[in-house]
Amino acid sequence: MSQLTDGRKHPGGPVPAAGYLAGIWDVVVLELKQRLRSRGWYIMLAVWFLLTGLVTWLTWASWDASQAARRTFSDYAPAEVTGPGSMIFEVVLAFVLLFALLVAPALSANAVNGDRAGGTLAILQVTLLRPGQILWGKFFAAWTAALAFLVAGAPFLVIGVALGGMTPGHVLVALLMLAVEVGIVCAVGVGISALAGRPLFSIVVTYLAVAGLVFGTLISFGLGTGLTQGTVMANQAQYRESSPLGQGPAEPEYTCSGPLQEQPALHTERVAWLLAMNPYVVVADAIPYPDRTRQLGYSSVGAIENISQGARYALAGPDRTHTCANGEAQPRYLGQATPLWPLGLGLQLLLAGLLMWLGWRSLRTPARRLARGTRIA
Amino acid sequence: MALINDVTGDPAEPVSANSDGITASAVSRSFGPVHAVEHMDFHAPAGKVTALIGPNGAGKTTLLLMLASLLAPDSGTISVGGLDPLRHRAEVRSRVGWMPDTLGVWESLTTREILTQMARFYRLPAAGISERVTVMLDRVRLTDLADQPARVLSRGQQQRLSLARALIHDPSVLLLDEPASGLDPGSRVELRTMLRQLAAAGKAVVVSSHVLSELDEIADGAVFVNQGRTVRQQTTEEAAASGRRYAISATDSGALGTKLTELGLTFRIEDGRRPAVSLMLLSDDDAARLLRDLVLAGVGVSSFAPASGALEETYMNLEGERR
Repeated sequence: MSQLTDGRKHPGGPVPAAGYLAGIWDVVVLELKQRLRSRGWYIMLAVWFLLTGLVTWLTWASWDASQAARRTFSDYAPAEVTGPGSMIFEVVLAFVLLFALLVAPALSANAVNGDRAGGTLAILQVTLLRPGQILWGKFFAAWTAALAFLVAGAPFLVIGVALGGMTPGHVLVALLMLAVEVGIVCAVGVGISALAGRPLFSIVVTYLAVAGLVFGTLISFGLGTGLTQGTVMANQAQYRESSPLGQGPAEPEYTCSGPLQEQPALHTERVAWLLAMNPYVVVADAIPYPDRTRQLGYSSVGAIENISQGARYALAGPDRTHTCANGEAQPRYLGQATPLWPLGLGLQLLLAGLLMWLGWRSLRTPARRLARGTRIA
Repeated sequence: MALINDVTGDPAEPVSANSDGITASAVSRSFGPVHAVEHMDFHAPAGKVTALIGPNGAGKTTLLLMLASLLAPDSGTISVGGLDPLRHRAEVRSRVGWMPDTLGVWESLTTREILTQMARFYRLPAAGISERVTVMLDRVRLTDLADQPARVLSRGQQQRLSLARALIHDPSVLLLDEPASGLDPGSRVELRTMLRQLAAAGKAVVVSSHVLSELDEIADGAVFVNQGRTVRQQTTEEAAASGRRYAISATDSGALGTKLTELGLTFRIEDGRRPAVSLMLLSDDDAARLLRDLVLAGVGVSSFAPASGALEETYMNLEGERR
């Protein structure tokens, strides 16, 4: 939107997109210079590195100990030991995402109003910089600073992969999704900081927004599910009788027969979008995992797959998951193939974009309306 | 000094007659229920220093923010060199330098980096930036501190840096909000000299202040504002012509009083630390004549001086009218 107005202000000439980007870059340079010179950032980075290392080590140690105990007290030795890789990867991923979600607001949510309080925002606004350039510059600087934390955490994800069971693709996808999620939180933080008067307030609101995404989505999905009472047309399932566990093809386990009848069901697909907005769901759902429909037993399934499949199950709704819905055998619990992370990411981007747009509006000068209690300088 | 070469006015836009300097006509701006500025008129011509004078909360800063194109007026128009900030934002901004009353600096950046960043934000040609920054640092005597982080600067040094920041893009209009506050006497003299030089170079310089004594020396004209309204616009000469209060003290206060009464002058006895009287005199000639008369009459005059600056006199009169 800003580029459009930029073009309007320079009639006749070429739209100076390069100039627009150069302005953003100048703001990023200004911001990063300040961040790189503050000691607090390095201390946070060091604490982060140590903490992630500690979590990795603890996960590995506990897995090791449990393996040792199993060998000592039981004759049963698992035939195929996949190693702790998947578990370490999942635990470290969860922690890195948690920490990133905690750090990103601190790095972004005072970007604009902190400058306003320090009297340096108006200095920028009075120059030829456009409000969009200031806002994008602040956003990219905050994102870059937050990405440094991901880079510091990356070695431990690599360790998780190196210890077995995972491919480099997992790390790449995981880091990419983590970076995107951190970027969304940064955008939310920068947007809120442009809207709110006081840095403390905007930081708290951004943390609440993150809590809303992580916990609020779960709670509202859980509560919302109760409101989706409905019915589904289904008939009777005939389970195959002589099918000893561990033999024969797993799918389908049953056949459907008889007249279709209305059966009560929860239409979770109506509230699955709430679940989809959860950063953990987005990250877990985006990470690829093997198709389990030909495998038996759920024992070796990791947390990432469970989250992903659980969310996809909710998205599919009773028409795709209820036993014998519409007289057809439905895929098993772990057989859902429709990803929901694009939906979740889209909604998150929508939220972040909305806040950034509102923030952009509040940065426009000459300012017509000021937020209550704020001074422009 | 013509570093700004990307200022191209819209050719379709007719240049208004009153295109020099900066003008506000009938601008109003309110913040919620507070009418900060109401129908204020202001004009600062090019090549002159114009003082914006008024008590705290009179609307000086609000007016300056509108002139600096940071705030939009609710009504009224502003014109910088014939251009409206609302429609020609970029052109206006490259012509206006603004020094805020708050001392906001990027504390961890060095003085040189701050000026370099500002030059970039004003899109000065990259090749000339380093030279321009060096010149500006020298101009505000911060060359020695060029590579120190801004947080080590004293208040006066930060003020000078702020001034350099406002001047980095060689604006034709300079808006200074309380530039002298916190400056030591030496720096004030320096600021005065610099502002006179800038005005001599053809810039319109606007200085807001409520410290009036030095404005007499700097300002060519003054705009008095109070309670969001323009109360009076006058040049310093006009202010001086409208009379000025002189304070006289003598070794024998009684004799002084007698003589003044004899000359038919009304005076009032000041309750300062030293016994003195003060009275209004219309011109410098009047003052010279009175002093000669007093000395010839044998009154032992120990001091004879203007009690206040010319602008201060107007200001105090306005204050009086307000009550």
